[in-house]
Amino acid sequence: METKFINESGFQDFVGKLVESRNLVGPVAKRNKFVFGEINKYEDLRLDYDVTLLPPKKLFFPPKQDILKFYGQKGESCIDPDPQILLGVHFYDIKAIDMTDLLFRENNEDYNYLANRECTTIIGSNIQNVHDRAFFGSVGTEVEPKGHDGFLTKIEGGYVFEIITAKAKELLQFGDFQDANENQIKQAEKVNAEVLTKCSEKLNNTSAEINKKVRNSFDSKIWEKTAEDCFSCGSCNIVCPTCYCFDVQDDWYLDQETGVRARSWDGCLKEDFSEVSLGQGSIENFRETRGSRYRHRIMRKATYLNEKLGGPACVGCGRCSSVCTSDIADPVNVINQIMEE
Amino acid sequence: MSCENCNCSSQANHENIFMPQEAKIIKTKMSTASEKRFWVKWADGSQAKFQPGQFLEVSLFGYGEIPIGYASSPTFKDNFEIVIRAVGRVSNALHKLQKGDSIFLRGPLGNGFPMKSLKNNDVLVVAGGIGYCPTRSLVNYILDKRDEFGEFTLFYGARSPKDRMFNNDFERFKKMDGVNVLETVDKGDESWKGNVGVITTLFHKTDKINKNTRVIICGPPIMYKFVIAETDKLGIPHSNVYVDLERRMKCGIGKCGHCQINDKYVCMDGPVFKYSELEDREEAF
Repeated sequence: METKFINESGFQDFVGKLVESRNLVGPVAKRNKFVFGEINKYEDLRLDYDVTLLPPKKLFFPPKQDILKFYGQKGESCIDPDPQILLGVHFYDIKAIDMTDLLFRENNEDYNYLANRECTTIIGSNIQNVHDRAFFGSVGTEVEPKGHDGFLTKIEGGYVFEIITAKAKELLQFGDFQDANENQIKQAEKVNAEVLTKCSEKLNNTSAEINKKVRNSFDSKIWEKTAEDCFSCGSCNIVCPTCYCFDVQDDWYLDQETGVRARSWDGCLKEDFSEVSLGQGSIENFRETRGSRYRHRIMRKATYLNEKLGGPACVGCGRCSSVCTSDIADPVNVINQIMEE
Repeated sequence: MSCENCNCSSQANHENIFMPQEAKIIKTKMSTASEKRFWVKWADGSQAKFQPGQFLEVSLFGYGEIPIGYASSPTFKDNFEIVIRAVGRVSNALHKLQKGDSIFLRGPLGNGFPMKSLKNNDVLVVAGGIGYCPTRSLVNYILDKRDEFGEFTLFYGARSPKDRMFNNDFERFKKMDGVNVLETVDKGDESWKGNVGVITTLFHKTDKINKNTRVIICGPPIMYKFVIAETDKLGIPHSNVYVDLERRMKCGIGKCGHCQINDKYVCMDGPVFKYSELEDREEAF
């Protein structure tokens, strides 16, 4: 792996050149929050963001994605990816992308996701400001961020750029990069290590301890009690970088002869998520209570996928905690309570 | 835009896993007032290849997709059967289809019944209501390959005599050697001379079930635990009891999440499970 350095003004030029030649997506300001959006000039890029409203999964797995178009009795695939560079992804989101990569690839490769993913060059960046609900320093610490192509760390005077893949190396042509010296590499390591200690929220146990105890707490009263305030809105699912459940619906276009089969984000907190029609108007809901749905989400994040992913399916971004209307979604709060039960 | 700026493999025309294949309806028949039976043949002429217990995502463009089990045996390869109960948007639209119409299918999906562990053993199939349809692929397979299996018993329960499906099957099976068919209805009428009561009452009407019998259960969600209480009484180990489960299998390929039972995906890990695999999973029954 090569490590390069570019100074502040060189970095500005670099971003400017990327904008000219590629589709560049990165953190941009939107009112008083941040989102991943199109970068049209250097000033758009806000590497000082704390967290984005939605995770970058939306770039590979859009909130609503056409899967098939149909013309009468003929279906046509809608897979048509645009190459893009995704710049400025924090390490917790890199971990989450690696997880959804695996989940969309395993058993049945879903190119509606994978084609977008393969067409994307991911350049991570260090966390310059820590969101007040983040807990990335204490969750899934055994899971290494991987799957990205390069990583930028801001140090005094410029950026250290780790080149991981050929896709990142190819970008060197756009900037005045030098080989990073030992001191610069050490500074970058220090910056990335220090940020892990800056989260105000913290899980008090290891992933293995949490996995075991949470799984054994299926019958705990905590689920129904905490979920008494749940609106079943699914916001926690929508903003989660590792949630990938979806619904599929067909819609006709105005001509009523052609149309589209599209998938859209769905969430296990929503009341009808597990419903099945039994006929004669009767319905079976396999997770009928708010508590059972709330529990399912925490179980998915803390236990069910651990073996497959090598750690929990939660990366500590804190997005669910900050969007939950009644502030019950926070995994730190519920998991720490369970661990003390 | 093409992918010439990156080295990804997406330049290739990736197969879209959600693209269904066309099939032709060659015959239809109303089984009950709300259940319609379709005989279907792949439009490209290929043979039907599946395991008993597997399912298809049955789709109609503009309406959507629903998971439906194969209702005929793979021993018959020219065409296959599916039964659709009219309950929602997709199933009601499918009910309007007739002979000669096209239908769009993805599959076979799911695991199917464990044929190896059923072979050379006595088998009991407990089917409640429309639960007979997916198990019918197995029942007919066993009856087509009679010498590969031991004693065969079928318990079939319907809500009422008019809800009974596949009456011809049962009349035919009743004439076969080593085959025991026991029927019941929850609520009888003046025409019904058979057993009345829930399906578990049938366990007391036969001595053909023993502790080595392999048991297959498929029916409404409420039925499973009562049937398993009966097989427990007979000393049948949970590793010899198989449940065929219904969930909202929207994608059928282990992605969309609707069919999860704890950590399992019914569409991928099932729909057939060994009961011993599920008994620690709180959400199964």
